[in-house]
Amino acid sequence: MSDRRPSFNSATYALSHLRHDLFRSTTIVITLGLTIAFILLTSSLLFGLVNEISGTDEKASILEGRIPGSLSMFEEFRLTGNELSEDSKSALVNYLLVTSTIVFAVALFIMFNTMSIAVQERRSEIGVLRSVGFSSKEVMKIFLTEGAVIGTISFLGALFLGTPFIVNLAAYLIDRGESGIFFVQPVIPLQLVVIIGALTITLTVSTTYLAIRKNLGVDPVEMLRPSG
Amino acid sequence: MPDRPLIETVDLVKTYRVGSSTVKALDHFSIDIEEGEMVAIMGPSGSGKTSLLNLIGALDRPDSGTVRVKNVEIDRLGEEQRARFRKHNIGFIFQFFNLIPSLTAIENVLVPIMFEKEKPTRKAADLLERVGLGDRFDHLPGMLSGGERQRVAIARALINDPLIILADEPTGNIDSETAREIVSLFKELNDEGKTLVLATHDRLVAGRAKVMVKIRDGRMVRGKAHSRDGMMSLSPKEGGGREK
Repeated sequence: MSDRRPSFNSATYALSHLRHDLFRSTTIVITLGLTIAFILLTSSLLFGLVNEISGTDEKASILEGRIPGSLSMFEEFRLTGNELSEDSKSALVNYLLVTSTIVFAVALFIMFNTMSIAVQERRSEIGVLRSVGFSSKEVMKIFLTEGAVIGTISFLGALFLGTPFIVNLAAYLIDRGESGIFFVQPVIPLQLVVIIGALTITLTVSTTYLAIRKNLGVDPVEMLRPSG
Repeated sequence: MPDRPLIETVDLVKTYRVGSSTVKALDHFSIDIEEGEMVAIMGPSGSGKTSLLNLIGALDRPDSGTVRVKNVEIDRLGEEQRARFRKHNIGFIFQFFNLIPSLTAIENVLVPIMFEKEKPTRKAADLLERVGLGDRFDHLPGMLSGGERQRVAIARALINDPLIILADEPTGNIDSETAREIVSLFKELNDEGKTLVLATHDRLVAGRAKVMVKIRDGRMVRGKAHSRDGMMSLSPKEGGGREK
């Protein structure tokens, strides 16, 4: 019967722990997931905007049709559609960089705090792993895998639950003729998805690294000692 | 070179800082433990039993003195080398079981060999069956009684087939009936050739050991060996703790 058992490795270890500590894992995943969904939302709308107004002045007038006054706003800068598009692109990049950095920084700060508390609470677990012969690298691997799993779940959640939500909401509001931010059809380029995914996982793993790092140089005996 | 004992500690000193004061856990403590022995270390709380086990098990370093296990001066090893040494030579059993709460019984047993290429799941299952938990493979520690948790911990300690098993108050948190079963298991392991060092308050545990060592204030008060052939005295080593 034991032969049917799936192999036990750091990923299954991480999943077992996330399941066991469901409240905390859910909190982290939701915080991160919302952050990523927000970034996907804003950037998809911006990409949508660029897509709609690229190319011709006619498109710019379509925009004016959707949002009255928008053309005069751009005219202030006396831009043609093409120039507008170029300018929008660089504005888009800047906007994305700034908002993504701020939003990610807040989410990661929350995640770092949560992980630091979690690691403190799991000091004796680290002590046990060290006492049964794990090297610091192996302990690190377990925790970093957990960070990567959290990042992946949050990202996939945001992508597969958040994205359809964004697209449907936008379609619904455009159909109803609502203006506001949803005047464009959102566009989510694959590159953007890949970049945000890679960024999420890199950042969750490095946050976990920062939270665990200082606990690895400590003697196992110290880690096993009940705190307080 | 004559055969050295499997475990040899010479003049061990270990102190801890507690607040502003310093506590001497071991005070020039020396002992030899031969391969295949079952040694009970007895003494009141704070006498230095746990410190001794931690030093023998390469979990901690002495302030001075030497710990030699299998001819290796383990106090001179670096942190990572000590981890490797523990993995292949020592099986720990703790008073509070120290299982990973999120892992099932069988996963807990597999933890020490998690990163090995070959994971003998069958062996882990056999060990759990041996300690009487054949029907508890997929239970989390929280669903097990104290005695069952300790048996999982014993199976975990055995997964790497260590030469030495160190148990710190192994029956401290379990009922006397289970304690009796666990002591019988220790005896069985000892009969199979494992060297066991048990820190305990429990006379039941100490009574089954071949050698009993009493320790107080970090010094050996009395060492004696008892076997079916009668009592033998085991003197503290030269420079070791003296009779008070």
